[in-house]
Amino acid sequence: MSNLNELSITEASKKLAAGEVTSLQLTEACLAEIEKRNGSLNAYLEVFADAREQAKAADSRRAAGESHPLLGIPLAVKDNILIEGRTASAASKMLEHYVATYDATAIKKLKEAGVVFLGRTNMDEFAMGGSNENSAFGPAKNPHDESRVTGGSSGGSAAVVAAHMALGALGSDTGGSVREPAAFCGVVGFKPTYGAVSRSGLMAMGSSLDQIGPLTKTVADAELLFNAICGVDPLDSTTVQLPAAKADNKKIGVPRALLAQGIEPEVLAQFDQALKKLQMQGYEIVDISLPSAGLALAVYYIIMPAESSTNLARFDGVRYGLSIKGETLLDDYATSRGEGFGPEVRRRIMLGTYVLSAGYYDAYFGKATAAREVLRKEFSAALAEVSAIATPTAPFPAWKIGEKSDPLSAYLADIFTVTANLTGNPAVSVPMGTVARDGADLPVGIQLTAAHGDEATLFSIGKALE
Amino acid sequence: MISKDEVQNLAALARLKLSAGEVESLQKDISNILDYVGQVSAFSAAATDEKPLQRNVMRDDTPRAAGDTLSGKEEVVRAAFPTREGDFNVVRKIIQKDE
Repeated sequence: MSNLNELSITEASKKLAAGEVTSLQLTEACLAEIEKRNGSLNAYLEVFADAREQAKAADSRRAAGESHPLLGIPLAVKDNILIEGRTASAASKMLEHYVATYDATAIKKLKEAGVVFLGRTNMDEFAMGGSNENSAFGPAKNPHDESRVTGGSSGGSAAVVAAHMALGALGSDTGGSVREPAAFCGVVGFKPTYGAVSRSGLMAMGSSLDQIGPLTKTVADAELLFNAICGVDPLDSTTVQLPAAKADNKKIGVPRALLAQGIEPEVLAQFDQALKKLQMQGYEIVDISLPSAGLALAVYYIIMPAESSTNLARFDGVRYGLSIKGETLLDDYATSRGEGFGPEVRRRIMLGTYVLSAGYYDAYFGKATAAREVLRKEFSAALAEVSAIATPTAPFPAWKIGEKSDPLSAYLADIFTVTANLTGNPAVSVPMGTVARDGADLPVGIQLTAAHGDEATLFSIGKALE
Repeated sequence: MISKDEVQNLAALARLKLSAGEVESLQKDISNILDYVGQVSAFSAAATDEKPLQRNVMRDDTPRAAGDTLSGKEEVVRAAFPTREGDFNVVRKIIQKDE
């Protein structure tokens, strides 16, 4: 390995422990790559000026006898996860100058481990989008083809890992926001079981759906980061320690009926190749039925905007964030929110307001909540028979920036990822090769979903795919 | 298709000021999305008997010292005030003379 920034976390960790490299050297290597590529990729919104000081501090801690697998590892953090004293803007004009007053629990744990925070990464505004095109600060670009999207909403985090501008990154996943950009950029993206990682200090989007998750170069790295940030937290009452109720077999279920239409043929061909690879390693591939899964996207696009519009009601320009004075107090709110939020955020707030309004509540939110429970039961029943469920992560590779101007057509990218957020199951996207588009080889990913609390199965199948 | 009035009403409920052209585009986009998510209405009535697994997790009330959570961070919070006078956040009068 010629360049230190190209190491995986696991490799770098070994070298640090052996005294072959220092955190400062790893950090310098990432900063040099950032210097080269971030100008065109727009993946970092800010590179922290004190990264070298953090690295020196980590090296001192190691010299003083401390050891943790993440001590001195340079990572990037999505712009909606709070780090005390640093700007956290959620890629929104609303919070452009907002400085976090406390550490997210995941960040606190990483600080204790001795991680070096390189910077905050670009994203779709308030995590709303699947392409990073909804950032108020311009889209991040796909390192494999800069005319294409990174996926999103954790697009910057996926791009910095793919382009070796960090050894790994944190993202957040509400409907696929870690897994889909990971697939588009050719890295591993992992969404833990709902409740496995504290949401304290993660800007709330859909509170019953959100989870912080790692984006990494390898499955082993994702496991390492996950183990460092998971755990019950008094600051998030939804955190739980889940006993893994799993099927003890090597069966992987494929919901073939769901894959019958809408998936690009080359993506499906790569998916079948990946399944063959698993078969050769002793996994048995079986057909399963998830009768309600076809409704998941519709259910998601009711529940998510309902929760988002509620969560974003706090931004009113009174205590912090963008504040624009109008004629009256009501005008202050409406103008600050109108100017502060971008078009996609405004659209989802309006949609959420609609589905929650009197007269429509039962037809939309009520039905969606009921359907969500049916989905959860279908997944639990399926995962009592098989260890994991496999689908492609997205039905197509990264699209050209600006190509999907109709919001609904962009939402369809989430068709396979939203279900795990609705049901709370853990899911991972692992690279499964590339498809050729306009002379570029674009990565695609396979998604594996396991029973609640059974992240271990995802890590072991994921490693078999690498 | 939802009407322009409905869009305006939603914007008022959501406290969002929209630009003129945006009303038309939102009318189209929201109608399209509602048509799509409307698929859930096909869900049988029996399904609505399903009780969600989610429940509230309450913690015990434990007394804490005043200002405990922000202790040492007061200045960071104040620095975020849109308009500041000394240690105070300046807000608009709720009842104004002309109302």
